[in-house]
Amino acid sequence: MNNPLEPNSESGRTEAARRRRIRWLVRVSSLVVAIVLLLAARQTRWPVLVPALSPFVAAGSILATRAFAVTACLGLAVGLIAMLRPRCFCRWVCPLGLCADGMSYVGRRCGRKPAKLPSIGRWIVLLTLASACLGYPLLLCLDPLTMFSGAFGIAESRTGWLTALPLLLVLTTSFVWPHIWCSRICPLGAFQDMLAYPLRRARQARNQAGGNRSSSRWNPPLARRTVLGVAAGAALAGIARSSQGSTPRPLRPPGAIDEPEFLGVCVRCGNCARACPTHIIEPSLGRHGPAGLLTPILHFEESYCLVDCTKCTQVCPSGALVRLSPDGKASRPIGLPQVDMSVCLLAESRECTECGRWCPHAAIRYVWSETEYTLTPEIDAQKCTGCGACEAACPTKPNKAIVVVAFENAASG
Amino acid sequence: MDKHMNRRECLRALGLSGLTAGLGLTGAPASHAQGVGESSGFQSSVIDAHKVQDMRTAATIVDGKVIQPQRELPILHQTDVLVVGGGSAGVVAAIAARRAGASVTLVERYGHFGGLWTGGLVVLIIGHIVKGGKQVCQGIGEEMMRRLDKLDGAIIDRRPGVSPTVDAEAAKYMMVEMIEEAGVDVFLHCWGVDAIVTENTVRGVVFESKSGRQAILAKIVVDATGDGDLFAAAGAEFEHRSHNVGLVSRIGNLDRVDAEKAGQAPKPRRLGSATPVPGVNWVNLTGPEVDGLDIATLTQMEMNHRKFIWNNVQRTRQTPGYEKVYLVETAPQLGVRITRILNGLNRVRLSDLREATKFPDVVGVGGSSGATHGEWQIPYGALVPTKVDNVLAAGRCISVDMGMADLVRLVPNCFVTGHAAGVAAAVAVRDNCRPRDVDIAKVQKVLRQQEAYLG
Repeated sequence: MNNPLEPNSESGRTEAARRRRIRWLVRVSSLVVAIVLLLAARQTRWPVLVPALSPFVAAGSILATRAFAVTACLGLAVGLIAMLRPRCFCRWVCPLGLCADGMSYVGRRCGRKPAKLPSIGRWIVLLTLASACLGYPLLLCLDPLTMFSGAFGIAESRTGWLTALPLLLVLTTSFVWPHIWCSRICPLGAFQDMLAYPLRRARQARNQAGGNRSSSRWNPPLARRTVLGVAAGAALAGIARSSQGSTPRPLRPPGAIDEPEFLGVCVRCGNCARACPTHIIEPSLGRHGPAGLLTPILHFEESYCLVDCTKCTQVCPSGALVRLSPDGKASRPIGLPQVDMSVCLLAESRECTECGRWCPHAAIRYVWSETEYTLTPEIDAQKCTGCGACEAACPTKPNKAIVVVAFENAASG
Repeated sequence: MDKHMNRRECLRALGLSGLTAGLGLTGAPASHAQGVGESSGFQSSVIDAHKVQDMRTAATIVDGKVIQPQRELPILHQTDVLVVGGGSAGVVAAIAARRAGASVTLVERYGHFGGLWTGGLVVLIIGHIVKGGKQVCQGIGEEMMRRLDKLDGAIIDRRPGVSPTVDAEAAKYMMVEMIEEAGVDVFLHCWGVDAIVTENTVRGVVFESKSGRQAILAKIVVDATGDGDLFAAAGAEFEHRSHNVGLVSRIGNLDRVDAEKAGQAPKPRRLGSATPVPGVNWVNLTGPEVDGLDIATLTQMEMNHRKFIWNNVQRTRQTPGYEKVYLVETAPQLGVRITRILNGLNRVRLSDLREATKFPDVVGVGGSSGATHGEWQIPYGALVPTKVDNVLAAGRCISVDMGMADLVRLVPNCFVTGHAAGVAAAVAVRDNCRPRDVDIAKVQKVLRQQEAYLG
């Protein structure tokens, strides 16, 4: 943060200018690389790299899922660097930081003044990590890298524009109150500050020993406020988990972890939606409760989940979608189709076997009822993977006669 | 015998074959035997009993077993291409082969053309389009639709991307016209019962009619029986499958439903879909999955379905507002969907539909209801048996896997496979080769000349 060089000397000034130039170059390059990575969604697993860089996401998902994904190594490495060089990531790499800085610059030119605000980023971190220990990382989705990633889903689905809202909000905030996002709100920045705390404390102790008293605005980690934050996080996590209940379970991409935890672990980065070759993943509008806003839900109106495709699970940075092999996917059904015979053409004795013809697993057969004198589609739950091919094929409008429904208790392995 | 005969010549040939059979029976031609116009009112005259009975040998019992003694069969007719079955595939096959230059004879079990399309009242032309609404059923099938367009009250819903519905009687009439114009020799009320085979090669067909058991010799036989009766009799390999057997009916007076009385109450089920006749709907019935070749089962289906349809209409009539609805008719033909499926040189699989497989020997493009599927090509190999020569399959019994059976049996797809089989048979006759050796490029060229769509 402080330039170690003497600011007044001539050589120091040119050196500072040179470093600023390099830093700008690196930041712009990072932004370009991030954009390229995220645009490569359909072909590769690269998009996972952007949100995976966040130590905040890594810590939150490791605590919540009690599992360690390879991608978390990236976040942990960034975390390690942050311990030694505070906010180094923010100043050199963060693509959202650059955008926010740009908006702050415009805001300042328009005469906007920075607002006075306590550091809420730290609260976000404490709340999230504490609740993560209970399996429900509350505000993990406020991570700037996931918000940046999410904005790339804008053209992916009907509700894709929603995914750009968080980024837009950050940019607007930066314009109205310049620099406030990075310095006061960003949980990734605050988390880095917290990681750097021990070394900083040690340095301060050394300085104090040398008689140079400087008051620190950093509280010790076990201060009253920290305990309060952790307790609040735990309580909120409990409330969030128990507030599920009545709303129907949404249909999640394959490999999704159990439902209440999913809402927390999913960082809403939109990677899965962008990776999906059949465009069946879209961000939720909150139909399944406000806590699920922007989480990925499946819709099978026009297409279905391809048998051999596991792309969405490959690009999930948080572990909300467990990485699957095609075989593993078959043993983790997405849901089970249910037939509404008040809509089904067969009940009218119409000639239709579309759902059975499209089922990739031959899990649908048509059973004759002598009393009803009609055929009924019957689904073999052992063969069915809930891929939605039947629902996509069903010709009835506006309501499909066969609809995949999520399991009451997620059938995770 | 001449290649081309009209029906009068055929009847004469029948008399001659009886004489030349050397059984010593003296049968004068039918027209000489009766004294026409000698009294007023309807005429009823004695026909030479020997004429009807000639060459028949009754079955007998030997050691408790019923034995059909060996006997010679009269040859009714000789032809280049013999199409057995006058359904949607057979009629198109006959017209296509005739237009391609062959002499053609069509043998039909019932008294009308169209098979399940008309006699089965499957009056919905579903399967002529693909996703996006493009029409893939062209050629003679589309020509039929255009002829129906010109008839009053013969077809509705002829908009692009929509499945039209025809009037069965109009379609029967239209096919009589087309068959006559094409110059196809026809024998109705003839049930093809056996293949005439020498050295794995089909030489003709034995059929049963009121005239007894007779033979028609042919260079190529097109099996458009739907059930694959002929290729099965000839010894071709096939799969025997069960499928749903139903019975279609038509109900009337739907334009006289009292809407006020009916109110907001739920509509009765199974009111069916509109037909070109105002107020008359056709009502489908899927029926249970059974063996459509088992005569006891077919009998039971016929009786069960008849009872259900009657009672269902009575239930409808008890619904307020629907009192005037009545049963117009049940279909003359039972709705048998799939029975035998040929094991052909090639086989169309569901994966071909999904992956839109292109076949070098494509002879037609199939469609669907249009909602979900793209074009699917039909290879010539799916019409050709693996072992037996000089017989081609057309219609629902061509070589497909179970997943495709529900598409291949649709009326427009039967037009398409019939068209292909008819042209291929004519080309094989012209080139004097086995169907399996036919020049595909020539077949495709003639099909395109006849405005078929090959993708």
